[in-house]
Amino acid sequence: MTSRPDAAARLAHHSWRPPSARVAVVTLASAGVAVAACLLAPLAGSTSISLSRAFDWSLPWATNVDAQIFFVARLPRVLAAALVGAALASAGVVFQALLRNPLATPFTLGISAGAALGAMLALTFGGVLASAAWATVPAASFLGASGAVLVVYLLSVARHRGFSTNVLLLAGVTLNSLLSALILLVQYFADMTRALQTMRWLLGDLDVASYDPILAALPMLIVACGTFVWLQRSLNLLALGEDHAAGRGLDVLRVQRMAFFSASLATGAAVSIGGPIGFVGIVVPHLVRLLVGADHRLVVPASLGFGAAFLVGCDLVSRTIIAPIELPVGIVTALIGGPFFLWLLVRNT
Amino acid sequence: MTPQPRRRDAATPRVRRPRVRRPELQFRHSIAFVLLLVLAAWLAVVGAQAPPQRIVSLVPAATEILFAIGAGPRVVAVSSYDHEPPEVERLPRVGALLDPDLERILGLRPDLAVIYGTQHDLRQQLTRAGVPMVGYTHGGLADVTAAIRALGERTGTSSTANDVAGRIERDLAATRARVSGRQTPRVLLVFGREPGTLRNLYASGGVGFLHDMLGIAGGSNVFADQKRESVQATAEMLLASAPDVVIELHVDGSSPADLSPWQALPALPAVQKGRIVALTGTDLVTAGPRVATATERLAKAIHPGAF
Amino acid sequence: MVRDVSLDVPSGGRVGILGPNGSGKTTLLKLLAGVLAPSSGQVTLDGTLMTSLSRRQVARRIAMVPQHTHPAFDYTVLELVLMGRYPHLGAFQVEGSADLDIAHASLDATGTAEFWSRPFSTLSGGEQQRVVIASALAQQADLLLLDEPTASLDPGYQLEIASLLRKLHRDRGVGIVMATHDLNLAASVCETVVLLDEGHVIAAGPTAEVLTRESIARLYGIDADVAFHREAGHLVVVPIGRAR
Repeated sequence: MTSRPDAAARLAHHSWRPPSARVAVVTLASAGVAVAACLLAPLAGSTSISLSRAFDWSLPWATNVDAQIFFVARLPRVLAAALVGAALASAGVVFQALLRNPLATPFTLGISAGAALGAMLALTFGGVLASAAWATVPAASFLGASGAVLVVYLLSVARHRGFSTNVLLLAGVTLNSLLSALILLVQYFADMTRALQTMRWLLGDLDVASYDPILAALPMLIVACGTFVWLQRSLNLLALGEDHAAGRGLDVLRVQRMAFFSASLATGAAVSIGGPIGFVGIVVPHLVRLLVGADHRLVVPASLGFGAAFLVGCDLVSRTIIAPIELPVGIVTALIGGPFFLWLLVRNT
Repeated sequence: MTPQPRRRDAATPRVRRPRVRRPELQFRHSIAFVLLLVLAAWLAVVGAQAPPQRIVSLVPAATEILFAIGAGPRVVAVSSYDHEPPEVERLPRVGALLDPDLERILGLRPDLAVIYGTQHDLRQQLTRAGVPMVGYTHGGLADVTAAIRALGERTGTSSTANDVAGRIERDLAATRARVSGRQTPRVLLVFGREPGTLRNLYASGGVGFLHDMLGIAGGSNVFADQKRESVQATAEMLLASAPDVVIELHVDGSSPADLSPWQALPALPAVQKGRIVALTGTDLVTAGPRVATATERLAKAIHPGAF
Repeated sequence: MVRDVSLDVPSGGRVGILGPNGSGKTTLLKLLAGVLAPSSGQVTLDGTLMTSLSRRQVARRIAMVPQHTHPAFDYTVLELVLMGRYPHLGAFQVEGSADLDIAHASLDATGTAEFWSRPFSTLSGGEQQRVVIASALAQQADLLLLDEPTASLDPGYQLEIASLLRKLHRDRGVGIVMATHDLNLAASVCETVVLLDEGHVIAAGPTAEVLTRESIARLYGIDADVAFHREAGHLVVVPIGRAR
């Protein structure tokens, strides 16, 4: 043996910081980044406003354009971006651990296709049923997402006792293809304006202009992200493989189910707010792992914070870069995500 | 085959044919030949100019024009989205902008097809099949009357077409006169949004027939500076544009339009003054012969006091 | 598939499971670890049914070293070994310096202490295998289940692992159940061997009695000479040729 145990031990003891300290530092840093993004982003936009007027409470609300631009047009949008970004990034982390594949995304298993189908049906036929609450686009897309999740889960447990991630992946990819075909079919029967609106929704749209969708999705997002934090350590074990994890004392089936459903809940809620915004669920986890390593006790909180900041930033770019018209936020994330992966590829070879 | 030289055989007698001159026959032949030529030429010219008898229209606006100028009975098929005039409901459908059904079109043996200017593939296919075409491109109001006249010439109904176009121009001028001298409010012309919210809202930009109609109706388009036909407006853009009047154009009148989402932006002058109007009807969004009535409706909504 | 197997692993015992590919060695190990549940029959740990124990409780007593380890993400060696402390920590409890000491001792025992900060993926096959063994050692279990532990190791490390296992047994009383092709490894470490063929146990008992020329011929179809090697101190198997 060539090791020098004492020297190595000394090195380990000196440079190893206990996980609790690292977790605290990372959590605070990521929360700080997210809060900073949320505070700064509403200050910029396609129109120049007077902040002093916006915050002047003596002016009546109904006529204060600056205040409405800040509090109705921009602030809900920034908050929505933060929530959606945090949800998609952390759901991406959990799906990658569940499927044991760093290239998995929150949309790999067909959830976004289910949400898209729901949204499309609401856009195309919803005008007729405008009074029904479930016929609105956010509600319908969440229902569609939930439907897809249920189908994928039932398929995976029907074929294999327990929870087979391979079957899950197959079921998800198959459902994705099937739903995409259905989406094209529905689009065929829609007129030009509807088809344009659906296409626009598919590119991501965070212009919520109201706090209602955020409040509606908030409980689900809290439950989902709370579950992620609960599962942090278990995800580390899961990433080694089912046998390894079971051998180390993990209740693999329970953890897999919790991971699958909580990540699907987060994804469904996020997509119902802003549409299927791609690349957040894969770029942010990768970036975060480059910064803090692979330990999920650091990766999960960091993804929550950096995911929020990332999407707030992308949304800021989307609404200012060709102002006054907008570049859909899904295009911005793709324009960042694509080159990022190219760079990763070049770096690794 | 190489020509064989004639071989003078001792066995072949040489026969001398007497030369007979028949000048009368030659003359009659040439006259007949010339007459035949003239007849053929005349038939060709007339045949080429014969008005088309089997017209296929893929553009709803063009279909309306064809019926308005009297070529309606000659229309044999329309697009999937045609509903005006009511006569088209019993006509076969051949697809639309994105999915024209070439087989069906050719199966109807048309001698004129009215297609979109952007349907390049279809244009190529119809050229190969030898079907004459007219390309229709959406443009401003002036393009509508020009299209009416052009289709009139093409279908041999020029006089009716000129009448129709002339009437439209006169009606538009009348509307313009009625609202002239009045203050021009800032108008947001919305033609699509998500039901129940203000998301995914599409409004008319500074180009196109909707914009022109708005101008004649006495309104100032808030997005006049956007050189595009449609603008997707975010909440911030709506607040910044500060319209005095919001007009929503609805095609489907089956359920009453829900205008309550506008209350989310009370800073809009239109919301404060309660001037959010919903207009329903296909005439509002079709660049066809009903643009004059549509413009009048717009004018009434913007300047109710003038009517 | 494993059928009609009755196996008793005494506390502190050293059992070798031998058999050709596909005979069910890995399945048997997984059943012993409680990772797989039997479709009929039962697996008990110290008289208690495995199914009535929580996975954590089982993991504190039994540690398993699978044949292949492919972490989906780039964990460092130390992170991997510290994961072996999972069954001993509470829900949100983080590893303390005591855990670090145990992890470090495990790394030392397998000669991988110098790699503690390196990403697992950058190590060679043999180094990775030793780290995985260290991770199982960090579990501080009474029973160690190993699936082909020396498959990718060079002769030097094969001997190291063999002597490590014997040392663990001697010093800490750790029981060992090892599934392997390496007949000499089994002969050098295990006092009992179980011969498995197509899911059935064809022989089980003390190594010297069970590991014979005839049984090897029956199991692997090879003719091998089995003799006690004085210098090595244990039985040695020398394959000679295909059995006729």
